[in-house]
Amino acid sequence: MKKVCKFFLKLVGILVLVFGVLFAIFFFDLDGKLLFNFVEPFLKKHYDNMEREDKTKMPYDISKYPARD
Amino acid sequence: MDINKIKKGFNDFWYGKPHSAEEGGRRLGDILEDKTGLYKHREWRGVKDTMYYFWNIWCYNYLHMVIDIMKYGGLVPFAKGVWRYRWVGQTYLPVMHWFDRGLQGLRGEALKGSAWHYRGMVNASIVQFMYMFVADANLNKGKKNYWHDHTIAHNETLWGGIFYPWSDQYRNVAIEMIPYFVTCHVNSHTVLNYIDAIQSIGLPGDPCPMCQAEAGIFLLDDVPDYANFWLSDNEACDASVSTSIIQDWLWDKPLYAMTQPMRFDDPIAKKYCMKEIEGAWKFIEEQTGVPFNYELLCKRLNQQNELMRFEWEKWDVAANTSCYPINGVAQALYRIYQSQYGDLPIWHEVDAKVRKIMEKCVAKKINTFPKTRHRVIAWSCAPLYYSNWVVWAYNCWGLNVIINMDSLMFDMEIRTDEYEHTLEDIATYHMWAPMRRMAVGGMHHIFELWDYKERFNCDMVAMYDQLQCKGMQGVHGLFEDEFRKRDIKAFWLPHALPDSRTVSRAEIRRGINDFMSTVMQEEPLDPSLLDFDDSMTW
Amino acid sequence: MKDLKHLIYFEDLLQQANNELVQKGRADGNKAVGYTCYFMPEVLLDLPGCFAVRLRAPGCTSPDVATYYLSSRTCHYARSLMERALEGGYNFLDADMATETCTATTRFQEHMEQKHLDSVEDMRIVDNDDFFVEFTDVPFKKTPNSQAYFAEELEYHVLRPLREHFGIDTSDEALMKAIDLHNEVSNLINEIGDYRKLEKPTITGYEFHVIQLVSLTCPKYLIIDKLRETAEELKTREPDQRWPFRCKVLLAGSENDDPDFTKMIEGCGAEVVCDRYCYGAVESRVPIVVKEGERPIEAIARHYLETSNCPRYMPQDEMRARKQHLADLAKAYNADGIIVVSNKFCEYWSYERVIDSFVMPRDFGIPVCSIEKEYINSASGQLRTRFQAFVESLEIKKIQEGNK
Repeated sequence: MKKVCKFFLKLVGILVLVFGVLFAIFFFDLDGKLLFNFVEPFLKKHYDNMEREDKTKMPYDISKYPARD
Repeated sequence: MDINKIKKGFNDFWYGKPHSAEEGGRRLGDILEDKTGLYKHREWRGVKDTMYYFWNIWCYNYLHMVIDIMKYGGLVPFAKGVWRYRWVGQTYLPVMHWFDRGLQGLRGEALKGSAWHYRGMVNASIVQFMYMFVADANLNKGKKNYWHDHTIAHNETLWGGIFYPWSDQYRNVAIEMIPYFVTCHVNSHTVLNYIDAIQSIGLPGDPCPMCQAEAGIFLLDDVPDYANFWLSDNEACDASVSTSIIQDWLWDKPLYAMTQPMRFDDPIAKKYCMKEIEGAWKFIEEQTGVPFNYELLCKRLNQQNELMRFEWEKWDVAANTSCYPINGVAQALYRIYQSQYGDLPIWHEVDAKVRKIMEKCVAKKINTFPKTRHRVIAWSCAPLYYSNWVVWAYNCWGLNVIINMDSLMFDMEIRTDEYEHTLEDIATYHMWAPMRRMAVGGMHHIFELWDYKERFNCDMVAMYDQLQCKGMQGVHGLFEDEFRKRDIKAFWLPHALPDSRTVSRAEIRRGINDFMSTVMQEEPLDPSLLDFDDSMTW
Repeated sequence: MKDLKHLIYFEDLLQQANNELVQKGRADGNKAVGYTCYFMPEVLLDLPGCFAVRLRAPGCTSPDVATYYLSSRTCHYARSLMERALEGGYNFLDADMATETCTATTRFQEHMEQKHLDSVEDMRIVDNDDFFVEFTDVPFKKTPNSQAYFAEELEYHVLRPLREHFGIDTSDEALMKAIDLHNEVSNLINEIGDYRKLEKPTITGYEFHVIQLVSLTCPKYLIIDKLRETAEELKTREPDQRWPFRCKVLLAGSENDDPDFTKMIEGCGAEVVCDRYCYGAVESRVPIVVKEGERPIEAIARHYLETSNCPRYMPQDEMRARKQHLADLAKAYNADGIIVVSNKFCEYWSYERVIDSFVMPRDFGIPVCSIEKEYINSASGQLRTRFQAFVESLEIKKIQEGNK
């Protein structure tokens, strides 16, 4: 019984802690701040430096596609 | 000890601070960080609503974003997609901030109803980009897999219902819906890359920036290679027609242009349009080798008709009561996401939840937007980077946007009793697409504003002024004349659709502030929202 | 070269929409029918009893009142037409046959329309009780389905109102008569224009532009004699000893009814030998052929869809074929390069211009000068600089090719 109570208390404690941490993240918009200040600049840098195909080199075959009704 | 102070403190904690300044208001502007629009802390809405927001919206949606990704393709294609495509990497993560912007200041049933709409849109967006990634040859070292051969690509303005007859074997995904349209709402930074790109090869800056961006995505090699062929259409405007010139060049895949008549009231036009739709179906049959399935088309159309019927119920409540539990931005975006893609399970799920909320509001006569001073109808096309201006307008001035023009397109059921009727209705449906139903085919359509204003019991008009929309610019003066003649309170809201650099959010707010204080001679409900800097916000 | 006998007369006719011949045409009891787009078949408006007037607004540089109505962010052509209409410049019109083909001109024509609605007050821009505007829908394809639809549209929205409002005979016989007159004018214009294919053309781009415009804006039965005389005159016209130009160009792009713009290009040393722009493309004077078993109205619908190369056509093969067509024209007229022009705020040509400026040099080896212009801009120094630079680049290319 004692063990069950202890486990139960522990579980409640963990849940409260998780709740507390998540709520703090939520309430202080820590997710937004992380994404705005770190994740997005990092990703932006990545996308800006990505090698991309020069699409203007794409051929433009005049007769490749048939006329359709 | 001042007992009143304690009592107020407790009430503020338990119920949230009251809205208006006279009541010792909540001052929503004070919780925003300068420039970024991030929150110093998220809004305290009272215990019940804050917990609802935290648990049922924030936690629920973060969790479901992960679940949805697992459900529709898994983490690997998602991670590859994020790494490969700017529009998803930069946009997917701040989704909860999009909720924040759209739900700011809401309480009770309005908070719940509007949030469900957002949930629906997020799920539908995930479905679409995951379908793209799962089929994407770019993410598979150029190899075309099963889904690449079983996914149909089309312009975002081409209604998804066209593909119902193949929906048991084929998926359809609009090319620009997520890379362009959704990103503008969630994170308006990404689209600027595409606009700049297309202008860098000589396109002038004046065509519709939506179309510019839709071409720019192709130029920047940011379109997944997820289908063998595609279909385009001529919705709305000259620029959207012309965009396909660039798209065809840069994508180089077999294309069927499902063109629709401009003068759609013309009885002769419908017959032509029906043949065009049949042409599109024939093209799909040729490309897929799978025959057209009328039963499947009807089954999906019937499901879609259910969505339309509920939309009418919503409009009825919005028009005739003060119990409508959805704010202007959730209404507008959900309607366009839903009707443009067509039938999806999530829409039914969301509608069932919203129905319950709405029925409760009506039964208990809950005034969902109690600080409404003016019931507003928003006309023409909205600024995508600031679709949540309506949230600000309600919080700051009590302007409650009841309905908007683009929600009113596709306003019909499609008959499924016999093939001819179905085809005829699909033709009408498609000709009544967004930015088309009111903007082309004769000037009388755009002036239906007066009827809708009456029907929705609105006393004010928010007139969007998309600076690069030639069709709407071309009726500017007549609207001015009519507003004056009819003594209608109307304000113009200039913007450039996705491009926040042309008219900033602050400029939009300033225009409304000026109108409300000088023309309407009113005081703001929340003065902290009058002037703030969110120039760098998503 | 010796001056063309009627050039000054033609130039005078272009000074205003309601010119001497239009007035005479109306005095003869004919109805003046305005239009703005090639997709409105002028041949139908030239049925006996009426005549076509393609709308222009010569000399309109500051469309202030029109800008209030259409805003400053729409095509200058549409605004200029609106301004001219507001000034009373189109009060001579008995009708306007409109097409919803490009947005700005559509809006202009909708403003002219007496709509008789409760929702918006009519402006009565054209001060004429009997004046009306009728819109025709134009398909975005050339397919048989589109041709059949267009023929039906023309029957209902052009022939029916002409018949009902003005009592015009719209029988097949009358249509054949109109086609004959149209073809005669077209053949004359082609005959005149073919001199531009010569090594040393005996007609300048400016002169041809003026003649083409006159044929579009005056009653054909009143101008045809002068055209015949001009064609005759050109048979013996000798080129200058020294060709006064440095290269030849094809001019493609948006609406252009300003001969001074052509003159400006030629003033920079590039002879405009071929036109592929709205309002004067060489294809617009291809004679109409009525095939066996075809009704005249069907032939007309087919003809106008087939001959147009408007960038609003959306089928993939059409979009691509336009480039080939441009290259073929450049070859047929011995053009050294192409000037692609889009009017400011013209969305169709803004996009088409982009792709032309990549594909034409790369895939066809034809240099392209890509510019944006206003409706009236003869005084633009900036454009002059661009054209001069283009002419120089074409000369350098020629020299380099000669050295190989």
